[in-house]
Amino acid sequence: MQLVRPAGTRYEGLALVAATLAVVGALFLYVLAQGSEGFKEPIYDWQVSAFETLTGADQAIYNSLYTVKDEIPYIYDDINMFNEPGVKFRWPNLDDFQDWLLPPFYKDTSYEQQGSLTWTLFEPLAEGEMQGSTMYLGTDGKLPGQGSFLLVIGHVHAGFTNTNAIVIWWNAKNHEEMPQSGFRDGLILQGWREVVPYSGAQEVKRIFGNNAPPAVPALPDGIGTEPAPASDRESQSQSEGEDIESVIEGALEK
Amino acid sequence: MRFSTRTFLFAVVAVVAGAAALLGSGAHAAEAKRLKVGITLHPYYSFVAHIVGDRADVVPLIDADANPHGYAPQPKDMIRMMSMDVLVVNGIGHDTWAFEILDAAGMRDKLHLIYANDGVSLIPIAGDPSGEKVVNPHTFISTTAAIQQVYTIARKLGELDTANATYFRDNARRYALEIRRLRAEFDAQIAGADLTKFRCATMHSGYDYILQELGLQVTAVIEPRHGVEPTARQLADTIDRIKAANVNVLFAEKYFASKLSDTIKDATGVKMYSISHISAGEYTPDKFVEEMRENLKTLATAIIESSKGA
Repeated sequence: MQLVRPAGTRYEGLALVAATLAVVGALFLYVLAQGSEGFKEPIYDWQVSAFETLTGADQAIYNSLYTVKDEIPYIYDDINMFNEPGVKFRWPNLDDFQDWLLPPFYKDTSYEQQGSLTWTLFEPLAEGEMQGSTMYLGTDGKLPGQGSFLLVIGHVHAGFTNTNAIVIWWNAKNHEEMPQSGFRDGLILQGWREVVPYSGAQEVKRIFGNNAPPAVPALPDGIGTEPAPASDRESQSQSEGEDIESVIEGALEK
Repeated sequence: MRFSTRTFLFAVVAVVAGAAALLGSGAHAAEAKRLKVGITLHPYYSFVAHIVGDRADVVPLIDADANPHGYAPQPKDMIRMMSMDVLVVNGIGHDTWAFEILDAAGMRDKLHLIYANDGVSLIPIAGDPSGEKVVNPHTFISTTAAIQQVYTIARKLGELDTANATYFRDNARRYALEIRRLRAEFDAQIAGADLTKFRCATMHSGYDYILQELGLQVTAVIEPRHGVEPTARQLADTIDRIKAANVNVLFAEKYFASKLSDTIKDATGVKMYSISHISAGEYTPDKFVEEMRENLKTLATAIIESSKGA
């Protein structure tokens, strides 16, 4: 009679563990390659997230201001385009915003629904003081728990140290006075927080990770090289390469 | 060497014909240099058409009658894509199929993409009972977020076609004002209405941006996620919330009707209104403004009728 012993499970167990580890490791690497669900830009103590923290009317006001950032340089061009020599260039005031139907300044029903903030413009160029920052203060909203907003156009040329030319700030206090300075450190000490958006660009990063289809600058030869009509070229020369900083610097030089 | 008169005439004709051919091909080449701008969704057709005017061609990636929700890419989409110089995408969840087409057509490293939402400050889906903050991709059913996208697209197209950059920017500004005038029209329509009685729920999260921009709160959203019907328990909870909050208006989708909205209407007594998702029908330059005008008119009607209620 021959005794047949069952084969040991030692090696099978090891093989099973190794296979499991390999599968888990591969899945981990796959998730890393596809992008992280938890992708978020860091929010510093002196910042506040429009997406995570602001709600309701304050979130809507911020989002309107965020688009206003793009419009202000355009309106600046419009209102100063036909200035006579020697006339001081100015930034858009609250009446200009009414003409352009520009929320959150434009006084319509949504303005009332969003708390009817009282907006004030402080323009240092007109006043001949301050250190290079034009500011729009929105305060005294009528909704419960509503904060105040400050849109600061920082003039780098005049020694403004913030690298962001136009910055939107939020203060949890319902009532705020116009700050003495648009400089970041001073505003932070007064309780202001820079509002940062959760932008579409960040969401694309979250969805695709490092695998996002890139924007490819190279186009077939010739595209975009045809001269535009003369009327366009004339106005283009005024605004070519125009970004907010050059507008700001141009204004200060004038 | 002697040239006969006939030879001379042949030479002249050949030179003239050659010059004409060169001029002709030059003109053709100039025409061929127009950008072909692809788009994935109906609103982007309108945005781009207004920005580029007559100086570029706008090419939809998918057929006009295709439903962009859960769209299955077709071979002809790849052919269309291969003819494009640049493609404008939503990129944040409403046209994921465009990226499948991009890879299938081998265009990932060849086609320039414009992510229209790059510069948009996104908001979470409203009324989510879980409290989880999930990104709402419906940035195009809006005014302010739409304008932000128009500016982004105009700026990016101007970087690609520098000769027309100013033309694109000026057109974008004009179009932005046209979009903003829609809100002024809406405001005139609701003049004198009592907005405190307006309480709304929506079938899905598509209308959050425009409602927030107008200062209107959403109390409840029926679909837990876009295109996902609620479970029986979720539906019962939502109906309870609608009743508890005295919701009197339900906004449902105009093009993609659901029997669920009738169920909720019957269970709660809310009055139902249809809002366009701007995702169906022919691609036309004026589609966005026309459908947003209609949406705002519907919103105004809902506000006025709810203000008359008890």
